This record gives sequence, structure tokens and C-alpha cells, in this order.
Amino acid sequence: MSENKFSVIGKPQIKVDGTELVTGSAIFAGDLRFPGMLYGYAARAGVPAGKLKSVDVSKAVAVEGVVDVITSENIGGPNLMGIMPPFDQPVIAKGEIRYAGETIAFVVAESKRIAKKAALLVEADIEAYEPVLTVEEALADGARKIHPDGNVTFTRKLIKGDTAKGFEEADLILEDDFETSFQEHAYIEPEAVCVVPSGDNRLTVYASCQSPYHLRGQIAANIGLPMSKIKVIQAYTGGSFGGKDDVAAEIGILAGVAALRSGKPVMVAHDREESIIGSNFRHAIKIHYKTGLKNDGTITAREVKLLLDGGAYASESPFVVMKALIHAAGPYKIPNVFVESTAVYTNKTYAGAFRGFGVPQVTFAAESQLQEAADRLGLDALAIRRKNALRPGDATATSQVLNESVGIVQTIDAVGKRAAEIAAGSEDEADEQYLYGTGYASLIQGISNGAEGIDVVGASVQMSQDGSVLVGTGLTELGQGSRTVFAQIAAEVLGVPLDRVTARLVDTDSVHDSGATVASRATTTGGMAVFKAATEVKSSLLQMAALMFKTEAENIVLKEGFAVLVFDETARIPIPDVATAAYWTGFPLMNMAFSKAPDADYDHDTHQGKIYIAYNFGTHMMKIRVEKSTGKVEVLSHIASHDVGKVINPLGLTGQVEGASLIGYGLGHMEKIEYENGIIRNPNFADYAVPTIMDRIPTEVISVEEFNSTGPFGAKGVGEPPVAGATASFVNAISDAVGIRFRKIPVTRQDIMLALRNRGNQEE
Amino acid sequence: MEISFICNGRKRMAAISGETRALDLLREDLNLTGTKEGCGKGECGACTILLDGKPVSSCLLPAAKLDGRNVLTIEGLKGDGGKLHPIQQAFLDSGAVQCGFCTPGMILSTKALLDNNPAPSVSEVEVALSGNICRCTGYGKIVEAVLLAAERLQVKI
Repeated sequence: MSENKFSVIGKPQIKVDGTELVTGSAIFAGDLRFPGMLYGYAARAGVPAGKLKSVDVSKAVAVEGVVDVITSENIGGPNLMGIMPPFDQPVIAKGEIRYAGETIAFVVAESKRIAKKAALLVEADIEAYEPVLTVEEALADGARKIHPDGNVTFTRKLIKGDTAKGFEEADLILEDDFETSFQEHAYIEPEAVCVVPSGDNRLTVYASCQSPYHLRGQIAANIGLPMSKIKVIQAYTGGSFGGKDDVAAEIGILAGVAALRSGKPVMVAHDREESIIGSNFRHAIKIHYKTGLKNDGTITAREVKLLLDGGAYASESPFVVMKALIHAAGPYKIPNVFVESTAVYTNKTYAGAFRGFGVPQVTFAAESQLQEAADRLGLDALAIRRKNALRPGDATATSQVLNESVGIVQTIDAVGKRAAEIAAGSEDEADEQYLYGTGYASLIQGISNGAEGIDVVGASVQMSQDGSVLVGTGLTELGQGSRTVFAQIAAEVLGVPLDRVTARLVDTDSVHDSGATVASRATTTGGMAVFKAATEVKSSLLQMAALMFKTEAENIVLKEGFAVLVFDETARIPIPDVATAAYWTGFPLMNMAFSKAPDADYDHDTHQGKIYIAYNFGTHMMKIRVEKSTGKVEVLSHIASHDVGKVINPLGLTGQVEGASLIGYGLGHMEKIEYENGIIRNPNFADYAVPTIMDRIPTEVISVEEFNSTGPFGAKGVGEPPVAGATASFVNAISDAVGIRFRKIPVTRQDIMLALRNRGNQEE
Repeated sequence: MEISFICNGRKRMAAISGETRALDLLREDLNLTGTKEGCGKGECGACTILLDGKPVSSCLLPAAKLDGRNVLTIEGLKGDGGKLHPIQQAFLDSGAVQCGFCTPGMILSTKALLDNNPAPSVSEVEVALSGNICRCTGYGKIVEAVLLAAERLQVKI
């Protein structure tokens, strides 16, 4: 890392919102209590597909303590939700059931226990259909249409060069099928929302959510109020990872309808089982990869076909289709690329956004196949990646020329150096008890919305007369540390200590609609908005200080809590004095900034053009051992190197990389939603294997800093990218250890035992 | 039924029904919402409280079982002179907190461990926290935090 010329940026900072979290005083949505508050609980379909003929709520209504039972008829608006077209998901099912967890009625009662009991008494007359459970069934001729327009949700192609020609130039062509499974977000706080009629003819929505503006829009539309009548305040949010968007809107709408009908505050706090069966997963994808290479490892062509199982509703499937499509070629310079990416409806819980957003799945397949090619060609794992890696001035698979912040080679070299050090210090190869394996993977991940839509963020920075600073943005703190990063940026610009800055939770009344907190965009685009707003306030302070010093503004810097004269650093005025004077002189001390990232510009038929404002690059190495008798995996070392542009908070950054890596490891090794006839068999933490402390991996983070001009101080996001690196490096490591190429994830302990047994049988 | 117990050093009385869980009593009646519900089945550890110093999942514990016992929730954990408890401070300093929803349970499980074993090994830390799930951190910084807290608490003694 380069020498740090900053006072707050680049130094480890404790979370600004940490104290309330370690003392238990932070208020999460489910902790709220209001006088007269009611509780809502959904009655769910229980069957994966069928014609919904009628819903009888009479028994539920009759339960003592039940105040209201809401059906699809009672939704004032269109009874439709979704983040993007085709907006195909009803809030409460009407006419047809498309997945088992679908809401058919919503019971409102004086306590959650009563609501839950009464929900079980809701009776639905459903004429069951044979559920469509796989992408193949959904696409088969004559398949029953889950939605009127058929079973294809969204399909796109990426076309670059001429793959037929590229394959002709190849010395080796590999063609393989891969498969991934549904992964559950498993944030520890289940979704919760509380809607309060606030006495001013408006509704206040307190929500555990990722995108408060989505809630505002969808609640307003479905209950038939203008958006300006709805105020969404983000409550402390116990993790999200992409998951608290659709479902947060769903329960927000339901609670909103109930609050409007009853005139009382209404709380919905999901149980764990509801959180699993009734909210989106990471897409399971059937993946076909064909890669051509020259003997020296140069990739000449790649063709990819992706079939995403999107479940019953579109959710963010269209964008995941695009993100997977755009990233299928990896962080490499490949002249000829063809990708076809298609999301398909099935009668299962819908799939949508999950940290990584399609990139982990394609990276697993791409890096598995590249490793196999390296093995066949007798090439070193890092050398083949380095040979093909993008350099500044090269074009991506979308023909976007990257002139800056292309640190993939640096991450490869960093991992190589560290891996050599680790190898020098270990002697653990091939013994009686264990098999050892090492896996590498490199990746690219586009930062911010890019092709997924407009990229705007609002921020406000306000300095009070005492020199303290209040920062607000429209992007949410989900645990990732965005409030700390925003506070750091404001502190750095305004020259005040971090403890003089407060970064608050999102309130939709207070800043511009900032879209969703997704795509690793908070630091990059949110940070830019804070930077802009803080810079305006700084300008006021400098002008005031210039009057006070009787000099020009350019002769003054703000640092260490003072306005300092550059010629004589002992000449300094405390910032509170400058702020007070600025207020009384009439310089504005608050700024509402609006930051818009450059638009994507590409051909929609071929996906050729400029897609993302920046790309995170990474390389991972994982070294594991497998106990032969039990199949138990132990990760001995894991190196994760990412080009993050500029590290803002090293403590937060390593936390992001470590946490994302364990989610990637879970995807590769442990986690899988299991279906039986369209019903989820493991909707709890006993049967769905979320990694525990026993499963943790010893992630070592190495940051590469290749300046990115689209982010604050050169930074770019890192929240999602490590997921892909950990998944792919794990699969390469386990394949190396066992000596068998695994092409379906998760590769569980049972899969490993089976492979070892088969291998043993073959050897005998 | 009527029960009485010590909660965070204070004697509390409560009238409860047989169905009431300790978690509900704490959250609903005593407004101690630092104790969280993550799964309701004793699988995640977010609702961990200390009962006579031992960590238990309050979502599985009938409130009646609190009668005559000593309960510590996260709200009762305090350091000297109004400061954070050294375990809380170590969690912050180590970056062991992200979303914070698992944190109260994680910290109380840590307290139970360190009260009985002031200098735990890494594997003893793992065993003690194996019932507390965290989805954000990857656990590495949590282990660091526990070891840091142990070190600081020992120096104090």
C-alpha cells in the first residue's frame, strides 16, 4: 500500500455505530414498541402450484384478538411488487399459486402469537397443478406456463468477435457442464417492519431493509397513497446481503395496508422459517462452458450458456442474468466471446439478489475450467491467469477499454508471493491421514449499477455551529460499515476528528432517492456524494476563515479541527469558531449533494460497450486438507487479494473480505436449499448448514490499490467480490486434493466421501 | 403464575402464563430488547442470556424457569466507571461487529467462557461460541476479540 497522506482515510476505524450494537441498545425494527401496536402474520399457500379458487378467512376472523384479515381484494393498489419489469409478483396471491411460501392472506391481531394461530385457520380452495420444478421442465415443449407470457423470465446475449474462428485457433478445447444450488442469505435478523400512522396524515415505516426508496415506492403504489405521504426510516438492520429488498417491500406493503385500515401501528417480524421459504435465494444455475486455449495458455475463445432458476417471480432475475453474462469471461482478455444467459420461472421460492449477484456462479465454472486447462497444458495456475489477465488499455468481454484501476496482475503477483512464503513454511504433503490440495481463482466484479440502471445517490452534510458534523445518505448501513466510511470521508474533507461526525441511518424524507444499496456501490457512489456535499461545506468554512485571516481561501487548509494558514501552521482558528462565524456571516453550512455516476453505454443485443464505472479485481488461493476417513475439510490457508482502488477503513475492509469469503466457502462447500416436490425440506438452521465458528476459514487479506477516479479518494467497492474468489478457489482446492474435478456445488462432505470411496474402488 | 428473579442485578417480579418464553418475558415485559430472536429454535444463539452464569437460549427456556435464578442480559453487562465492559470494547477494537444482531449473544457466550476460563485456547473459544451464528464477519475477528478480551481481563486482575 502507498504512503498515507490522509488523517482519517486509510486508517483502521472502529465502527461509528458500534457502541449501540455491543450494548444491545441499537433499535432494530422488531424491537420497536408503539401504543396499540398490532401484529401481522401471513397465511401461506403450502402447495407449490395451483389454481387459487377462493380463500376463506372466516375462522381466522373469529379468533379472539384478531383485528383484521387482509386478502388480495383489500390491497388498494395494483397488488403487484417488484424492483423492475415485468413486475409480476402479487403481494397476496390472486387466482394462482406459484410457490409454496406465497402469501394468501394476512392476519392482523393484538399479539403475534394470536396472529400466527389464526393464520393457520385460513382455508384456501386450491386446485393443485403439477409443479414445474426444474429449468428443463419449464423450457420443455408444452410446459405449463407459470406466467402468461411463458416460462422465460429474461434472456440476453453477449457477442464479441467470432468464437468459431477462436476455437479454430485453439490447441485445446474444453467443454463442461456445471451446476450451482440455491443459497439462502441467512442474515441472523429475520425481516421485520413496523408501519405507524404518524398523525400527520402520513405513514412512517421503520424497516429492516436494504433499499428504503424501494419500500416507499412500492408501499405507496399498493396502498394507493402518493409517495410523499410515506416516510421510510431504516431501522438498524441485522444483515441483508441482497435479501432485504423484495421481501422488505412485501411486508411493508402488508403492514401498510393493515395500518391504514386499523389506524394503528402494525408490526411484522418474520420467523426464521418464513424468512427462508418466503424470501429470495441466490439463483441455482445450470452452466455450460466451452473454452479454447493455445498450448501456451492463451485463451482464444469462450462460449457460455447459463440457465438461471429464478423460481416463481422475476425479482432481480433480469439484472442477475446480465451480471452473470457480463462476467462470464472473467478478468481476462479474450478476443472471442459468446454468452447466452436466461432466467426461467419454476414453482419454487423466487431467486434474486444475493451478494455477488451471479458472479460467484460463473466464476466457479470459469475458474474450474481454466484450472483444468492449466493442468492439461502443464501450466502453472497463476501463470495461466497472469498470461490472460487484463492490463490497463485492454478491453473486457464487453469491449470496454479499461485505462485505469486494473489491478488483476498485481493481485495475482501478491498471491503468488504470499503463497510461496506459506509453502516454504509447511511440510504437510501427502500423509496417511490427509489429502492436501491447493486452489486458485481470479475474478472481476463490476462496481455499482452500471448496466443495471441509473446510478444516483443523494447525501447531506451539515456542520453545526459547534463544528460537529451530521452526514446522511440514501444508502443503508447493513453491517458492512458504510456509516463509518461516510463519516471518514466527511471528517477527512472537513478536517475534523472522526468523533465529531455523526453518520445517521437513512430517512427517505431527508435526501434524494438514492436507489438501492447494492452492487458494492455504497463506498464508491455513496462516498462520492458525501465527498461532494462535504466539499461544499468546506468551501464555506474556507471562505469564512479567509475573511478571518484576511487572506485568500487557497491559503488555508482544514485539519486537526482547525483552519490552518499554510504559510504558518501555528496560525490556526478552531473549526467551531469558523463555523459559528460562517453561520452569522451567512455562509451555508449544509449541503445536499446529488452524485450521478457516468451512464452505461452499450448495445443491448450484444452487450458491447461501457458497462460499469469501475471493476474490482481479485485473486484467491486456498489450501486445504481432507481427512480421508471422514471427508472432513480443513482450510489451512486462504489468501484473498483484491484491487480496491484505495482502502478507506482497513478494519472494515478486512471484515468485508473475511465475511464475504465465508459466504463463498458456504456456497462452495456447505449450503444448499433442498426441495422435495416443490416444498423446502430444510427451512431452519438445524438442516440448512450456515457456517459456524467451527467452519471458519483463515482468510488473509492483501489489498492492492490502483487508483479509481470514479470513487472517493480513489476507492472502489469490495463487499461482493470475495464471494466468487472463495467459492472458486475452494472448488479448485478440493478437486486438487481428491484428484477428481467437481462440477457441482456445494461439494459437501458427503460428496467428498462418495468421491473418495469411488476412487478407492477404482484403485482396487 | 408469579415468579421472581434477579435480572441484571435487580430483583424483578412477573406474572406469566405457562406458554411464555424467557425471551418474551425479557423483551416484551421488561423491555430488554438487546436479547434478539433469530430462529426461535435454539439454533442461532442470538437470544443467549446468562442464567446463573451459564449461557442458555432464552427462546427455548420457559419463563417459569427463571424463578429464583440470576439472569444477565446484554443490558446488564457494564465496565468500570460507566465504560464499556472489556469484552464489548474488545469486540469493537477487533472489528468483530458488523450488523450487530448476533453480537449480544456472542458477547454473553464470551463472558460465560472467560468467567470460567480466563485464558482459553482457540479451540476452547470455538467450542464456547459454536452455538452462536454470525453471518457477517466470517468469525476470524470474533476469535481475535475473545482472545483480546481475555488478555485485557487478565491484565486487570
